[in-house]
Amino acid sequence: MLDELRQHLARLQKPAGLADGPAVLPLGVPAVDGVLGGGLARGALHEIAALSEAHLPAATGFALGLAALPGEGQIESTGNAPSPTRRRFASAGDFSPHAGRGEGRRFVLWISEEMALNESGAPHGAGLDAFGLSPQRLLTVAVAHRQDLMWTMEEALRCRAVGAVIGEVRHGALDPVAVRRLSLAAGDSGALAFLLRTQPSHDASTAATRWTVGSAPSATQQRHELGAPRFAVHLTRNRRGPAASWILEWRPTDERFILAAHAEPVAAPLRHRSHQKVA
Amino acid sequence: MLSLWLPRFATDRIRRLRETRVPDAMQRDAQRNDASQIRDPASGSRVGSAPLRAALRPANEMVVVAGRRGNADVLIAVDETAERLGLTPGLALAQARAMHPSLDVVPEDAGADAELLESIADWCLRYTPLIACDAPDGLLLDISGCAHLYGGEHQLVADLGRRLTQAGFAYRIAIAGTIGAAWAAARDGRPDAYANGEERDILCPLPLGALRLPPPMVASLARVGLKCIGDIIDLPRSPLTARFGIDLLRQLDRALGREHEPLTPRLPVAPYVAEKRFHDPIAREEDVLGTVELLAVQLAAALERRGDGARRIELTLFRTDGALRRIAAGTARPLRDPADMRALFAERLNALADELDPGFGFDMARLSVLTAEPAPPEQIGIGAAEDAGELVRLVDRLSARLGAQRVRRAVAQDSHIPEVASVSLPAQATGTDDGWAAFHRYRAEVDLAPRPLRLLARPEPIEAVAEVPDGPPLRFKWRRALHDVVVAEGPERIEGVWWQEENVEASPAGNRARDYFRVEDKGGHRFWLFRAGLYRDLTRADIAQGAIAAPAWFVHGMFG
Repeated sequence: MLDELRQHLARLQKPAGLADGPAVLPLGVPAVDGVLGGGLARGALHEIAALSEAHLPAATGFALGLAALPGEGQIESTGNAPSPTRRRFASAGDFSPHAGRGEGRRFVLWISEEMALNESGAPHGAGLDAFGLSPQRLLTVAVAHRQDLMWTMEEALRCRAVGAVIGEVRHGALDPVAVRRLSLAAGDSGALAFLLRTQPSHDASTAATRWTVGSAPSATQQRHELGAPRFAVHLTRNRRGPAASWILEWRPTDERFILAAHAEPVAAPLRHRSHQKVA
Repeated sequence: MLSLWLPRFATDRIRRLRETRVPDAMQRDAQRNDASQIRDPASGSRVGSAPLRAALRPANEMVVVAGRRGNADVLIAVDETAERLGLTPGLALAQARAMHPSLDVVPEDAGADAELLESIADWCLRYTPLIACDAPDGLLLDISGCAHLYGGEHQLVADLGRRLTQAGFAYRIAIAGTIGAAWAAARDGRPDAYANGEERDILCPLPLGALRLPPPMVASLARVGLKCIGDIIDLPRSPLTARFGIDLLRQLDRALGREHEPLTPRLPVAPYVAEKRFHDPIAREEDVLGTVELLAVQLAAALERRGDGARRIELTLFRTDGALRRIAAGTARPLRDPADMRALFAERLNALADELDPGFGFDMARLSVLTAEPAPPEQIGIGAAEDAGELVRLVDRLSARLGAQRVRRAVAQDSHIPEVASVSLPAQATGTDDGWAAFHRYRAEVDLAPRPLRLLARPEPIEAVAEVPDGPPLRFKWRRALHDVVVAEGPERIEGVWWQEENVEASPAGNRARDYFRVEDKGGHRFWLFRAGLYRDLTRADIAQGAIAAPAWFVHGMFG
């Protein structure tokens, strides 16, 4: 009897986003996937903050890249991570013969406050297309208040057709209760929930991972040709492993990240201090 | 056809206004009166608001409305008290004042009259959706097929009359087969006339003015001794037409039903309507939602029979005191499922800034489909189709709560101007073809340069320094931050829409040709910049004269 209750209690107290044997979304970069324990946890909340407001486009790119990862269409177990091509093939099998490209995949919701869209620009269809995320998969919602944003994110997470929800939050502290609700909603749905912030925040949060993202100079030899976009990515909080830093490059044609070959970290990796506030 | 005439419309309106602003003393009186009536139910008088108010009204208070007709101030409308004192509409104001020096005259307010008539028409929607305003003081209701809902025409008229009396209006009602006959009977016939098939008998004794003829024609007919409709009804037609014009006989034919006269309803009639009356008014939100679902089941059956789905649904709630509440919700795809409709209105009710405010409750609810679209029978499938259905439901829910304008999808358009080529439109309004297939073909064809991930709503001016006039910028300043350009790709020239009027409001860069550059600064930030205007178009003289603005730099977007 007592054991039963204990087990019940344990189930209730189970931290959000850490379901038993959670499905993960592998980034396809062994170094990152190793630290994350196989990949980005689905059904969990992830916080992605820009290094500073100027780095917001980079953080946007990183979040959209994660949402666009081809593995995104299906829930798969972590056991033996298939190669990116096989994964892609598997997701292609989900398509009904009539559905166009992007229709069979799950949808991405971009929710931001109206002011943020005016200030930092709205997601641009043709740009998304060039980036590798089909604009047909994206739905943008401009809300007036923070409460509406949280409500919309929760509502979107409940929808089975949605694979990833990105909520863009500008300055100001978040209501911890609302964030916890988001984590729970994500846990119930199995979708990815991202909070995109303009600045790194130090407040306590139920997010499974917390990232700080900045732009990094692209690798290019010529003055007249831009290389693929690069992101200086710091994993500052990780429930399943240590914190770490990488420079990742997004390959729009392959729709995946690679570890930049000749990258030097722009900042020293932060030490893992998940029990403390991150300095 | 039911014709409703409010003979004292203008004065009743003013009386109602005055009664809502009863002075304190009178209110106290009213309360005392009320209390005494409750204590003494055998007093014989009906306990009701209208008789009570009538009893309170000082006998000598009369309402007279005056306005300008031509060059003279004349009385427009008078109430019963005033009429008993010999005042009639059309009397010169000066003469009326001479008769009753203490006359209280209210200036005419045609706008307020029309507004009130509209709201009465709204309220009459409870009887039939086909209503036309018969300005200035009447309504026409097409009650064909509606009367039986009230147990017959007599019961419907009784109900309408009771409610009008409660609201403090004098009224005359007539029902006939044609608009003309009903109109004539309401104004000049005996009250509460029902002419079913005997339009001719009803019309014969009525004066010619009842045919809705212009007064000069009535006067000239009277000069030759034709005063009643019966006088002309059997006369040879051609001399009448020759002398008085075609209108006379047309009006007669319309009244007799020889010529069809259509009713033009003031509101478009919804293709699908379901309604429910309540014996006891409902007030709770759950009850309203339950009713919505109940009505939606009826609608769904009707929609399915014709293979339609609802795109826009309106819920009309009739409050017991005559107020009306209309709540509309749109959908992204043709909708039939009752549970979905209920969910839609649940969000709409949640989003209402003010409470539903049921007052003493709603005694009737109507759910109408304003816009219907053909919808193929629902395909029950797995995978993609089901996913899309889920998303549509989400879009509807979000649109209902936040507003359709806030939930958007990107749509590609056939244009080479970047901000027009890809726009975001309300997700409910976009059709199945979002243009991206065509965009992909176009992109592959011309090998289009990448577009930025985030596009600013309007290009923002920057200060930029370029090595050569037509070259990429070396460094630029945007939002007070200086950026040193390390890599620059471009230019990609996009001609302006020179065939259109320049709209500086929409784009500060104007309609000039733009040279776009993708640049990366030292920190790896990537921008989409452009220079509006070309140096080759410019001569020194132009700048001196100010005919052409010098080229200027703008930032338009950011890459990830």
